[in-house]
Amino acid sequence: MSEPESHHADAETLALAAAGALDIQEQRHLEEHARECPACRREMEIWSGYALGLRQLPQPAIPAHLLERTRTRLVQERAAAADRRWDELMLGALALFAWTVGLTFWFVARIVTGGELVIMGANLVRFGTWSAGSTVLVWLTAAVAAIALGRRRRELRRVL
Amino acid sequence: MILAAAMNPDAFSGAQDAIARMRRGDPDALAAMISRYQHRLYRYLLRLVREPAAADDLFQQTWLRVMEKIGRYDARRNFESWLFSVAHNLAIDAWRGKRGESLDHGADAGDSSEPACERLRAGDPDALERLLDFERGAMLAACMHELPAIHREVLTLRFEEEMKLEEIAEVAGIPLSTVKSRLKRALEGLRAAMEARLPGGPRT
Repeated sequence: MSEPESHHADAETLALAAAGALDIQEQRHLEEHARECPACRREMEIWSGYALGLRQLPQPAIPAHLLERTRTRLVQERAAAADRRWDELMLGALALFAWTVGLTFWFVARIVTGGELVIMGANLVRFGTWSAGSTVLVWLTAAVAAIALGRRRRELRRVL
Repeated sequence: MILAAAMNPDAFSGAQDAIARMRRGDPDALAAMISRYQHRLYRYLLRLVREPAAADDLFQQTWLRVMEKIGRYDARRNFESWLFSVAHNLAIDAWRGKRGESLDHGADAGDSSEPACERLRAGDPDALERLLDFERGAMLAACMHELPAIHREVLTLRFEEEMKLEEIAEVAGIPLSTVKSRLKRALEGLRAAMEARLPGGPRT
């Protein structure tokens, strides 16, 4: 004798039971009901079949050399990051070196010229003028170096 | 075998040690972790994106991101959930890059070719019987393949990766209630697809 339709567990509950997503009380209640209800027991078996099937799906084959290719990409990325850090360090050192050279020349130029070297109305050995000129020179040098390094990196990437 | 490894305390402590060494920048530890998770991570990505080439690229990107972010990884978190959530986020980013597609795109999204289930159904009755007898798993996989990505994702995380519901919520970045509703819809969708082709479904 089958039970009235309203007594059957709903599809949602049965699906969640197959996924192990019911809480302990709900699961126990469903199992107790299924013991007395052949229709729900059969439904539970069907859902269990799906759950089992999903646990035993055919496994995809790993693409050839995936591990090696990933390692290679990681090594390349690590090397590129190291290159970037090195480039930044070099640009900083270059800027510092240019400033030091500029300051030294400023001292020498002041001593040699007696503190006055006027060209086109501007005293080039005044600290303000000299430092402005040095700054422009440093930035130009850094920009040229950055462009050169960027080109080198792009060429390396093309090769790799 | 994968589950056995996961349940093995020695394997667990080995993984923790490898994670600690990864955080110190040890390349061998990273290589060991890639090797350890390659099957599971690639399988997850393939179920999610369906295209082997995309899964392959996302697999590599995931490890690049892991290397980048491992310093910020909270060791109290489950590493697997964190790893799969990194992969999940990259897959979402890749989807966003594709115009008009999203993770919850329907079954027919991005695949104009004949569905795998239809290809199976197209065979003669004997061939179909053989398929039912010997390739029931392939049929189920083909039907799962047709589900929306968000449903494929919860199914693979729950049944293949055997993750807890809380871990799935963490990977997908969704509430627990959403995990349950997605699981329910995914299973119902899978069953409907199977029964449309094979009355009765995979009865065991």
